[in-house]
Amino acid sequence: MLNDDKSPFQRTFVNQVKRCAEMSRKLRFLKDQINKAGLLSSALPTLQSDVDLEALESQLADHEHELIEMNANSEKLQQTYNELLEFKMVLQKAGSFLISGKSYESAEGRELDENVYPSDYPESDSTSLLEQATQSEPSNSSGLRFISGIIPKSKVLFFERMLFRATRGNLLFNQAPADELIMDHVSSEMVEKTIFVVFFSGEQAKTKILKICEAFGANCYPVPEDLTKQTQITQEVSLRLSELETTLDVGIRHRNAALHSIGVHLSIWMNMVKREKAVFDTLNMLNFDVTKKCLVGEGWCPIFAKPQIQEALQRATFDSNSQIGIIFHVMDSVESPPTYFRTNTFTNAYQEIVDAYGVAKYQEANPAVYTVITFPFLFAVMFGDWGHGICLLLGALILIAREGKLSSQKLGSFMEMLFGGRYVLLLMSLFSIYCGLIYNEFFSVPYHIFGDSAYRCRDASCSDAHTVGLIKYRDAYPFGVDPSWRGSRSELPFLNSLKMKMSILFGVAQMNLGIMLSYFNSLFFNNSLDIRYQFIPQMIFLNSLFGYLSLLIIIKWCTGSQADLYHVMIYMFLSPFDDLAENELFWGQRPLQIVLLLSALVAVPWMLFPKPFILRKLHAERFQGRRYGVLRSSEMDIDSEPGSARHHEEEFNFSEVFVHQMIHSIEFVLGSVSNTASYLRLWALSLAHSELSTVFYEKVLLLAWGYENILIRMVGLAVFAFATAFILLMMETLSAFLHALRLHWVEFQNKFYGGDGYKFKPFSFAALADDED
Amino acid sequence: MGFIFTTLIFVAIGLIASLCTRICCNKGPSANLFHLTLVITATICCWMMWAIVYLAQMNPLIVPILSEEE
Repeated sequence: MLNDDKSPFQRTFVNQVKRCAEMSRKLRFLKDQINKAGLLSSALPTLQSDVDLEALESQLADHEHELIEMNANSEKLQQTYNELLEFKMVLQKAGSFLISGKSYESAEGRELDENVYPSDYPESDSTSLLEQATQSEPSNSSGLRFISGIIPKSKVLFFERMLFRATRGNLLFNQAPADELIMDHVSSEMVEKTIFVVFFSGEQAKTKILKICEAFGANCYPVPEDLTKQTQITQEVSLRLSELETTLDVGIRHRNAALHSIGVHLSIWMNMVKREKAVFDTLNMLNFDVTKKCLVGEGWCPIFAKPQIQEALQRATFDSNSQIGIIFHVMDSVESPPTYFRTNTFTNAYQEIVDAYGVAKYQEANPAVYTVITFPFLFAVMFGDWGHGICLLLGALILIAREGKLSSQKLGSFMEMLFGGRYVLLLMSLFSIYCGLIYNEFFSVPYHIFGDSAYRCRDASCSDAHTVGLIKYRDAYPFGVDPSWRGSRSELPFLNSLKMKMSILFGVAQMNLGIMLSYFNSLFFNNSLDIRYQFIPQMIFLNSLFGYLSLLIIIKWCTGSQADLYHVMIYMFLSPFDDLAENELFWGQRPLQIVLLLSALVAVPWMLFPKPFILRKLHAERFQGRRYGVLRSSEMDIDSEPGSARHHEEEFNFSEVFVHQMIHSIEFVLGSVSNTASYLRLWALSLAHSELSTVFYEKVLLLAWGYENILIRMVGLAVFAFATAFILLMMETLSAFLHALRLHWVEFQNKFYGGDGYKFKPFSFAALADDED
Repeated sequence: MGFIFTTLIFVAIGLIASLCTRICCNKGPSANLFHLTLVITATICCWMMWAIVYLAQMNPLIVPILSEEE
């Protein structure tokens, strides 16, 4: 980025970017309109006839303007339509109130005082009304009038009460529900409305009632009392309504046609605008040079792609008919380059797993190479059951078989993760099958696949099989755990011992691999300091303690000794010079333990002290000559490459380096204990998996199968299937996945991984389309 | 005896697998190295798993005590 010092608004192409942003806003608006109208935007795969951007801009402005106008017009029409509809209903219902009053009047005869009617109701036949009204309430000198209108049904009750209170009971309120739902333009949804007629007397009452009507959102419409006038007005209104309907229809059809024609091109236009915007954004990162005649840009590119880039630049020069060729010049840089690993579909998921913790520093060892195998393997150690492994394998194979179809669809976030990790799942399932065969668990049931068990009863009657147990009469079972162990009372002590020791052995092996990788890292970067003062003491420390423990485990297994390894390790620290007695596993154990203890003790200061002092000496040596050469011929130096960072660190902060080294050493020393113990989760999770599996098998399936009833058996089978699928297959998979991931990220990678690089993000049109959607 | 014999079987399987990957997908030196690394890592992991379980059962300190059948 050469333009770091300029604000975004000073950059050269800012206007173009603004125009592109404006165009994409218009495009989004058009898309919204199309969606609202319920039209499907048919993306015709027409060829990209290079539409000129300027023409597109004006076209879009026109379309937007037209659409806004059409919308406003139809809004107005719709409103008028609604009002007329309400008026029609009011006419119908209110008319019936007035009619009933009139017939009543003709029966009773006319008998009235003075009637003063409001000027908008110029008829003389409301004596009927008055008659009716005077019989219920005392008539006022200003005469009886009425107001008719329509109000949402939900508010009728309160409305009536309010009116009563306002006029102190001097009113008659008639209401009838409307026949159909009407669009309420406040809430723009269809509501039920009620038509009402309020008879009242007095000017004050009228104003009060009108105000209340307004407050409640009731619309008042004038209804003539004369029957002929009513029918006349009703006819007029119906006529106008049908006219409006046709007008609205025509308007909607016109608008839909316009939208349709836009919709055809919409996706192409959006794409184009996105690409132009991205191009201008990138152009903004370039800088005009002094003569303002050419653009200068800096960037990163992979070495293998250099010839391709030069070819592309030549093509661009030719296509744009420029007189001067583009200059492509390789520079030295002080900044660390970005990290770029080329992956295929198989390795991509693993690289992402590693990158999620931290992107590798430029050119350091990539742990993903080993993670491809060790991650599914550690998962399988915690998941080992070949029945469940087969289920996972089926799932993985289905995902892989439908790769082509699923990759083009838009999947939910969970399915997307699952689909992205399909190859990880495949390897996980294969290793699970292997580990399941070793643990001899098929939905927790052992099988005699690899021959007979190595154990049998001591005598023919098997009388003491339940007390003293079986006896081993042959060589160990050739592959995996002997099937005799399942269900025995001493199963757990044996398996726990086996799995704990196994976890320690795997842990020490993986940690050693990590330290070896740090050796190769130091070798590559020619950092002999690190090799001598970090790698060697780390190896010595880890292996003299935990490597020795692993050795003891193996010796104990091979010799069948009764020695207690806990005691061996503890007394090695507490009383190393004492006699070992029953804890002796091999000849020369005591002197060996003393030697190992001493080397571990020596290794700690070896990794702590020398490195900072040597670094300080090296730094002093390097800058010794420079102390007098401060005459900087440096105006040229510093400004020659504007923007590219060249700064030298002239200071060496000794205390900072020393503290950093101390932290690193303490982390390693304490971490070696805690990380080794952390590997015991391999034991813990495999135990949990095995126990859950056993419980579901024995307590659900076998229990249900014990009954003769077919219904109970079916129910038992169903419960077993659900429990296996959800708890064992989904929950346990996620759990083992997570713990294997943690073991890799923390215990394996903290031995060697820097992880403070940044990813190489090349500019790509293809990535754009995915980005903004 | 069974231990060494089966270890040799694992070694043989590893060699055959590396040869197969070299024959089937020969895609340039760094890709070949990568495939070889994968095969060797997998073989070592699988062998370790088997060896640990086998060694643990060679001279066991406890024996299976059957539980009461109900």
